[in-house]
Amino acid sequence: MPLELGVVGGAAAFLAFAVALYGAVVGSLGAWRRDARLMTSARLSSVAGFLLATVAVVVMQTALLTDDFSVSYVAAHSRIASPIWVKVVTMWAALEGSILLWAWLLSGYTALLAAIAPLSPLRPWALAIMQGVQTFFFFVLAFLANPFTVLAVPPLDGPGPNELLQNHWMMAVHPLLMYLGFVGLTVPFAYAMAALITRRPGSEWMTVTRRWTLTGWGFLSAAIVAGGWWSYEVLGWGGYWAWDPVENVSLMPWLTATAFIHSVQVQERRQMLKPWNVMLILLTFSLSILGTFLTRSGVVSSVHAFGNGPVGPAFLAFFLLVTLGAFALLAVRWDDVKDRAELDSLVSREGSFLGVNVLFLALTFAVLLGTLFPLIVEAVSGARVTVGPPFFDQVTLPLWLLVLLLMGIGPLLPWRKAEDQLLSRNLAWLLGGLVVSGALAWVLGVRKVYPMLTVALAGYNLVSLALLLTGALVPRLRLATRPAVVVIRRYAFENRRRVGSMVVHFAVVIIAVGVAFSSGYRVDEQLRVDIGGSAQFEGYTLTALDTFMEQTPGRISSGAIVQVSRDGAFVGTLRPRLNVFGAGGRPIPTPAVLYRPSHDVYLNLNSTVGPDTQFVVLRAVKSPLVTWIWVGGLVLVFGVIYSLGGATRALPAHATRASTVAQEA
Amino acid sequence: MTAAAPVGPAVRRARWIAVLLACFASLAVAQQVQLENRVYEIAGKLRCPVCTSESVADSSVQLAIQMREIIQEQLNDGRSEAQILAFFQERYGDWILLDPPKRGLHLLVWVLPVVGAILGVTALFVLGRRWQRRSHEPIDVDPADLARVRSELASEET
Amino acid sequence: MKARRLLVTLAVVAALGGIFAFGLLRGEPDRDLPSELIGRPAPSFDIPLYERYQGQYGDVLSLSEYLGERPLVVNFWASWCAPCYVEAPVLQSYWQEYQDTDVLFVGVQTQDKGQYEEGRAFMDQFGLGFPNGIDDDSRMSIGWGLLGVPETFFIDRDGVVREKHIGPVTPEVMERQLAALLE
Repeated sequence: MPLELGVVGGAAAFLAFAVALYGAVVGSLGAWRRDARLMTSARLSSVAGFLLATVAVVVMQTALLTDDFSVSYVAAHSRIASPIWVKVVTMWAALEGSILLWAWLLSGYTALLAAIAPLSPLRPWALAIMQGVQTFFFFVLAFLANPFTVLAVPPLDGPGPNELLQNHWMMAVHPLLMYLGFVGLTVPFAYAMAALITRRPGSEWMTVTRRWTLTGWGFLSAAIVAGGWWSYEVLGWGGYWAWDPVENVSLMPWLTATAFIHSVQVQERRQMLKPWNVMLILLTFSLSILGTFLTRSGVVSSVHAFGNGPVGPAFLAFFLLVTLGAFALLAVRWDDVKDRAELDSLVSREGSFLGVNVLFLALTFAVLLGTLFPLIVEAVSGARVTVGPPFFDQVTLPLWLLVLLLMGIGPLLPWRKAEDQLLSRNLAWLLGGLVVSGALAWVLGVRKVYPMLTVALAGYNLVSLALLLTGALVPRLRLATRPAVVVIRRYAFENRRRVGSMVVHFAVVIIAVGVAFSSGYRVDEQLRVDIGGSAQFEGYTLTALDTFMEQTPGRISSGAIVQVSRDGAFVGTLRPRLNVFGAGGRPIPTPAVLYRPSHDVYLNLNSTVGPDTQFVVLRAVKSPLVTWIWVGGLVLVFGVIYSLGGATRALPAHATRASTVAQEA
Repeated sequence: MTAAAPVGPAVRRARWIAVLLACFASLAVAQQVQLENRVYEIAGKLRCPVCTSESVADSSVQLAIQMREIIQEQLNDGRSEAQILAFFQERYGDWILLDPPKRGLHLLVWVLPVVGAILGVTALFVLGRRWQRRSHEPIDVDPADLARVRSELASEET
Repeated sequence: MKARRLLVTLAVVAALGGIFAFGLLRGEPDRDLPSELIGRPAPSFDIPLYERYQGQYGDVLSLSEYLGERPLVVNFWASWCAPCYVEAPVLQSYWQEYQDTDVLFVGVQTQDKGQYEEGRAFMDQFGLGFPNGIDDDSRMSIGWGLLGVPETFFIDRDGVVREKHIGPVTPEVMERQLAALLE
């Protein structure tokens, strides 16, 4: 009898659990006793864990691609008729598979860390923490949400993955980015824990993990933008962010991680905020687990919830354990971690970073409160309440604008203390940018408060970036003997972190403007259009030329062919449609989008289409500048990648400490 | 109010299936009403009652479509946004508003973020002041502190 | 100091744990929301009845004719709703038992636009004897604050909504509610 795939996969998952447990226990023991043999054994076990997890993934992929319905996950979530790419991504289209993916990525990161992390007293502990986290994931995989259960009587075919997920290729990418982000941010968490355990609260844990942190943050940012684009392309209401709990829980760790990557620079330069930075990274990790719990347990209502089962309680237990363990450790070690913070002035780079910290924490708090509030109210008083987009918009918008404000001024402020003369010159420029772009917006007809302020702050930020660049380049060019191009290229290569951060900030400006206009000036109508007839929408003529039916493997579509024209000139043709996946599947409205730099025209079919259809009902959305959000997302990713090439700036801790003492003496 | 009848797990599951079906299975059957932008603005403030966490503006469920048509009709009758929201609130309770009403316990969700932000900024300034004072008066260091710093430093160097 | 910090950490984590544990034990959110209508006069509606009931109750049943006169059991269902198939025989058996009292059952097919054939098949399957009609545009659903189907309202002799039952009715629920209505 041939070996069944499910048995192999299940065994691999179980062994991966056992190996992770071994690595965590032996690694801690080795680090505790400073036993090199134990530490090496634990380190090697992380490679074994990765190999076993890879076996599990390969088995799952083989089962999916060969339609082996004796594997429970395949039977529950795959379908013979699906195209190959859908089968591949089905692995993370449901709960069990997504845990497998997460665990696999985590084991890959751990193995990579074990291979390349520099030898230090922190490393064994960090690896042990990583393996501890891994133990939990493989435990869930092997015992609570095992996708490899062998079915005695396999079905002939399965229902296929959630239709909304197979309706767009972005579903292949978005979860992957999200998990890479979460897993990436586990590394600085593990090192921070190691620093607390070993009482080495210096900057080592932070500098070693700088690239990991930035990579994780970059993946998480990309995942959030990509998720927005997926919603836009698939959900049919012309928006990209609905403050759904699932979105909120991905935003919260991003917010704290953003605070963290800014705040660590203060520690790098000034050796202060140590306890604060540790706290931020503990919070980030803890929030990423909380998010998984909230969305996997059905505790809060969400469109994307994966359903119930023992996984929810397990994640809750893990969340409580991690949070309690990490913060209790921080509390115990507080006296070791705390630093003698000194500040020359709040009007300084470090001052602005402190401000950014406050803002991002306030945003995190508001989002967390809004997400949990219905639950809290119900627990306290039994009353039911809903907290939705209008609340989040009202509460967070002012804070986002303040973020933009600090983003412009912060990088221009020098460390320690700003000189009044330089500061007032810069402020004059910034103010000029603010006023000029605000006035420009007014002239162009912008009257709503938030879009208006966003434009003003965008102009202000562009001026800030220009000042930063000229401030850096002009002296270099003046002294240069070589051509300007060479000087500029050299500056860009030698200051990758600085230039990268400018690119990221520029991307944030683009995204902010896109968000402000697409939400502030969006027009949303429902139109009835006769086949052969036309309707007017925001200056466009929408003509329903015909209906169509088409069949691709595993999918039947029907829809309308709508010609979009303006002032008699052809602009484009859109095919909003209904997709049906498999027999008896429900029709999924699939919007069609005319992407334009100034505004998108977005059509979604709100009626069924058959051979004798006389008219269609269209939801038409005009969304100004929305495309720039996706463009901004790409720019942001580029900025992060660029900045990753930069060197880690590590001031020797002793030197600064010594100078502080000298000052005091 | 009478006590709710106990609901067993099997019933819950059945109920859950019904909800899923309500949300997904019944796609818009052709509606014939033209809807203006204002309808979507108001619908965006209401929660779709048979869905999980979707607004009436965003959902494509039959009930949501019908609610949008009701909003259009009421707008045509000259009713204000507040009146239309009240119409639904009367039938479904506060729960249907995506924007929790600013009264009673609900006030907390509005007040707490502001309080949090104020506390944060205050902490920033208080700490900033304290840290500034330290850096401006380096001579006034407590000898015990200095000794501790030195001993720490010495221990770190070994 | 250290003890205080530990205590604060513990308190925060415990509070979070408590709230989430409550959430887990409570089950799915939003599914047993108390009705706003309880204790208030039931809204009226005029519902077009299926052919088989027209002889006895007229083409259109006006709820206002019965409100304040007789106790009412108003049941909302849909042909696509699985739990509705679970509760239909229960409703029918209690209708048979109680049709000689003055309580009246009314069935409303809702959120089921245009599904007349499916509706007829549903009534055939369970031999529903009490009047059933269709709420083609789901207006009655909205008017009565429905969160889904099935839902059943119990209205007393004064026309006041006494109770709303969410999910399929069980014999225990019917016994208790009917006893309360007829006392």
